[in-house]
Amino acid sequence: MDDDDNNDAGEWLSEKTRFKMAQVEEKTVSSKEILSVIDSLKKQVAADRSLSVKKRLEENSKKLGGITNHLYTLSNERRSSWIGDTDSASDLLTKRQKDALGMQNGIDLSNGDDDGYSYQEPSTAVLMGSSIPVKNAVRPIKLTEVKKLPPYTTWIFLDRNQRMTEDQSVVGRRRIYYDQNGGEALICSDSEEEVIEEDEEKKEFFESEDFILRMTIKEACLSDPVLESLAQCLSRSPAEVKARYETLMKEKDVEASKNRDIEAQNWNSFLEKDLEAALDSFDNLFCRRCLVFDCRLHGCSQDLIFPADKQNPWNHPDEENAPCGPHCYRLVLKSERNDTVRSPMNPEDKSNSSSDGVGAQISSKKSARRKAKSSQSESASSNTRNLSESSDSEIRPGHEESSPTPQLSPSKNKIAGKSGILKRNSKRVAERVLICMCKRQKKMTASESDSLASGCVSPTDMKLRSNPRKQSEDATSSSHKDVKSSNTGRYRKKDWTLKGVQGEVPPNETVNDLALTSSNDFSIREEFVDENLGKQELSDDNSWKAIEKGLFEKGVEIFGRNSCLIARNLLNGLKTCWEVFQYMTGADNKLAYHAASGVLSLLEGCSKYDLNGAMGSNEVRRRSRFLRRRGRVRRLKYTWKSTAYHSIRKRITERKDQPCRQYNPCSCQTACGKQCSCLLNGTCCEKYCGCPKSCKNRFRGCHCAKSQCRSRQCPCFAADRECDPDVCRNCWVSCGDGTASLGVPPQRGDNYECRNMKLLLKQQQRVLLGRSEVSGWGAFLKNNVGKHEYLGEYTGELISHREADKRGKIYDRENSSFLFNLNDQFVLDAYRKGDKLKFANHSPEPNCYAKVIMVAGDHRVGIFAKERINAGEELFYDYRYEPDRAPAWARKPEASGSKKEDGAPWSGRAKKLA
Amino acid sequence: MAKTPIGLEPVVGSLTSTKKREYRVTNRLQEGKRPLYAVIFNFIDSRYFNVFATVGGNRVTVYQCLEGGVIAVLQSYVDEDIRRMSLSTLNEKIHKSFVGHGDSINEIRTQPLKPSLIVSASKDESVRLWNVHTGICILIFAGAGGHRNEVLSVDFHPSDIYRIASCGMDNTVKIWSMKEFWTYVEKSFTWTDLPSKFPTKYVQFPVFLASVHSNYVDCNRWLGDFILSKSVDNEIVLWEPKMKEQSPGEGTVDILQKYPVPECDIWFIKFSCDFHYNSAAIGNREGKIFVWELQSSPPVLIARLSHAQSKSPIRQTAMSFDGSTILCCCEDGTIWRWDAVPAN
Repeated sequence: MDDDDNNDAGEWLSEKTRFKMAQVEEKTVSSKEILSVIDSLKKQVAADRSLSVKKRLEENSKKLGGITNHLYTLSNERRSSWIGDTDSASDLLTKRQKDALGMQNGIDLSNGDDDGYSYQEPSTAVLMGSSIPVKNAVRPIKLTEVKKLPPYTTWIFLDRNQRMTEDQSVVGRRRIYYDQNGGEALICSDSEEEVIEEDEEKKEFFESEDFILRMTIKEACLSDPVLESLAQCLSRSPAEVKARYETLMKEKDVEASKNRDIEAQNWNSFLEKDLEAALDSFDNLFCRRCLVFDCRLHGCSQDLIFPADKQNPWNHPDEENAPCGPHCYRLVLKSERNDTVRSPMNPEDKSNSSSDGVGAQISSKKSARRKAKSSQSESASSNTRNLSESSDSEIRPGHEESSPTPQLSPSKNKIAGKSGILKRNSKRVAERVLICMCKRQKKMTASESDSLASGCVSPTDMKLRSNPRKQSEDATSSSHKDVKSSNTGRYRKKDWTLKGVQGEVPPNETVNDLALTSSNDFSIREEFVDENLGKQELSDDNSWKAIEKGLFEKGVEIFGRNSCLIARNLLNGLKTCWEVFQYMTGADNKLAYHAASGVLSLLEGCSKYDLNGAMGSNEVRRRSRFLRRRGRVRRLKYTWKSTAYHSIRKRITERKDQPCRQYNPCSCQTACGKQCSCLLNGTCCEKYCGCPKSCKNRFRGCHCAKSQCRSRQCPCFAADRECDPDVCRNCWVSCGDGTASLGVPPQRGDNYECRNMKLLLKQQQRVLLGRSEVSGWGAFLKNNVGKHEYLGEYTGELISHREADKRGKIYDRENSSFLFNLNDQFVLDAYRKGDKLKFANHSPEPNCYAKVIMVAGDHRVGIFAKERINAGEELFYDYRYEPDRAPAWARKPEASGSKKEDGAPWSGRAKKLA
Repeated sequence: MAKTPIGLEPVVGSLTSTKKREYRVTNRLQEGKRPLYAVIFNFIDSRYFNVFATVGGNRVTVYQCLEGGVIAVLQSYVDEDIRRMSLSTLNEKIHKSFVGHGDSINEIRTQPLKPSLIVSASKDESVRLWNVHTGICILIFAGAGGHRNEVLSVDFHPSDIYRIASCGMDNTVKIWSMKEFWTYVEKSFTWTDLPSKFPTKYVQFPVFLASVHSNYVDCNRWLGDFILSKSVDNEIVLWEPKMKEQSPGEGTVDILQKYPVPECDIWFIKFSCDFHYNSAAIGNREGKIFVWELQSSPPVLIARLSHAQSKSPIRQTAMSFDGSTILCCCEDGTIWRWDAVPAN
């Protein structure tokens, strides 16, 4: 029937179409016509749909037929394989089956066979519904009783807290309860906020909807009434429909070009990325607090915080003069009889200047690339360019991986991607200010010259740069025989010219003339470059890939200006020591050039681009370096009465009625001022903050010597914090048999060991899970422990208070709750994820207590013995029930809950029956 | 639920009975006063295709269907604490007791390709895979991506041995794959140590999550690669899970067909299929049974069965191997047997 309709509709449609075509020209399509078109299309779609469903069902059933036949064979095989099986139970079944058949036929087959069965009740089958009277009912076989487990919900073991993932949330979700008594489902959503936030997401257009859309517009033209009725039909707004139509039209064009892109995407190698792109996953997925990838506690994509304090470069005392290998710069230099060898100097002094030099180096490389790029990317003024760069940054971060990055043509994508990363990791900006500055300044030269030589296409453009350079190099190469005119540099440059110009090499002079005549400005700048020997590095740079440069830069940070170490540790297999050395010295020269052209760059570069406040952060950087030095002095003068302690004490006193505050590292690059997020939030700064160690808001750890940090005399202990070997002075961990120690010279207190790091070190007691003497499950101790001994951590999911309120309602219904207030932001929930301590029951006279402790910036719940506990004893703590909510067994015979321990940091939400 | 977009509407079966096949009541028996929650035929061993079992209260009873409507009681087991439990496609002997679930079990199914594997759905929000021969709990399907409430039903994929589908009171249907954990399944067959020492693994994330229903989902079955599931919406829904290869756990649901079942709006009513999945039978709140032809499009209602004395809600039906016999067990503890009238 449907099919007939469909055919009719089809014919009718085509007729209509013809009719419509005629109408279109007059553009008098009535709404009725439109509706009928849409209607018929809809019918067609519906028919197509039922057809496709039918087809799919048929395919599926064909497949299924084979499967069930196979299963049938299997079940037949089982029949034969089990014949001869003497298993008594299956025999019993078979026999009874026969009995039943026999009984029905009036023949008793079961005569005398009874003794053969192991079952105590060999009753034969009982027939029901037949004419044979039924006298005896089958006596049931009692199954051996299995002791029932106390009920629990399947849970996952966690050894450290986890933050709740988005999909675990119960907020905004309806929950249905089955009323055991009434036999009805109750939909439970508490109040206003629960009003379902349904279907906010934009509905996508389906294929069939696209079809209707396209066809209707094709037939009835694009006009408002058409759009309106379409919108009605698809239950969307006319604007949406129109937008969709336009994208549909565009998609057609895009499709063709897509294929080309895909081809180009393939050649992309790891080395083509720069260091930041390569480090992307490290930056975004590696947790610097837990030192693991994909941290479940702090989550990925945390804000990157770079400490303002930089470590001093690694000082390598040995091998001062020994060559590191066959390519060591020492050897090469010796062989060239160069007497201007710079011995590795005091690395500390050098590191800053050299990293600046590297910045310059990078920028020059950038500009070289940019020059190599086709003129179109440069013809725009540098200002707009700059703008587009920053606007690109939002869109482009991922682009770099997919975009083709051949060596000479990529500059636009490459740079955009690069700047995207820069922008994204805005924290890095401070570090890179110099680089950016130089880059821009370079860009200036490039863009200016490009606009001047506006007619030139890319090869010519490139010649402009390469040829003068070549020329001047020829001129100067004899005079600069030392470091500069190395073989590699030469070789590379040739290579570069070859690639870039691709055979079409016009005479040098003409190009040079052209360049010179086109603009004085330009020529002056070029001279600048020439004078400062920049060109050699530029050509040299080409052999240095972005990632290599990045690695070099890091190397300078770590090892100072030690090309041996840098080459060996960071650029192993990529660059030799000699190459690194050359690069490094090249950077120095670059620096000199910058000094020379400083006026110019300040005038033209900075004044135009300080819009971004780049200069401002440059200032910041310098200041922080200054402060660092000061900070070191301060530390020596440091006393107990430092302000940090003051604020801590305050917190302790306040905390009685106020939960602790969640710590989030601040990203201050200088000593924290009023804007510091930690300060505003009321937490101390920790070692994870960006601020220098001299920050007044830092918690300074303890200096305890003999007390083992177990009393309130220890500032850490008093502040409910665990000691941190990174922060405290004397707290350390003994290693192995205790003879060797980490980080502390042995003369300091031989038998001393900090006792306030148990959570950090997971020095916990063995806890056993068993049947509680009170109710449901319980937690028991395996060994004896003394008073105030740490037993273990109470782990769970970290959920927000809002989430906890919602879950609490659910748990209350189920009469079991594993919630713990942790701090002002989070509640711990051990319902589905936790550890065995979650099974410890409530008691008004507990033998344990829980305490929220700050461990390396995180709040964690430790369970401690309140008194001496013997092995095998069940653990209890006081959940701090509100008096009326405690279950009957948890109530004290006398007044309930009158005994309150002072200083207990957590208010118990927990309540459970299990 | 979101409105179905144009072009993806399901094909809905018509409730006019075609009377392709007629059934009549041939037997009726009262097992006890307690509600019967499950009835199921054995499909594993062809010797016992006419054997079925019922579960109600703490009792499991094994019966046999004989010709002429006769039902024979074969065995009966009593347990102290089994409550509301549905048997798998019936192993005819109780091998072992399995301890592990933290709460009562709602359904058990046997892997037709490897009958020693059973999977159980429990109130403790987990699905567990067991090896009956060694008594090992091999896998636990629960955790971060697991069910958020009782699991009511579970089923093995008929051909893909790694795949199971489960559904429950969190309104979702989840498809799980144990492919990556298959070594543990194999290990369980040769395990000689104590079952409790077996390294039971957690499967925390399903490969597919479907929100087809907006209420408890109390029964699901694979129909080839499609899934039949039902909630309290007076219908059985047939849908196809369309998975995205790159991102497990995501995907879309294409609802293909709907089989309306009037007066079926209370939960814990389960349907059943015959061996070849040609037809399915489901009871309703008023004691009526609807027999649907599953694999035709649009769906065809084969028969609507009603009896003047059958008033109690039917919790589950069982179809025999060829669909000629339908059993149903009711809230009032009765078992009804319907036989197809030979077509002449």
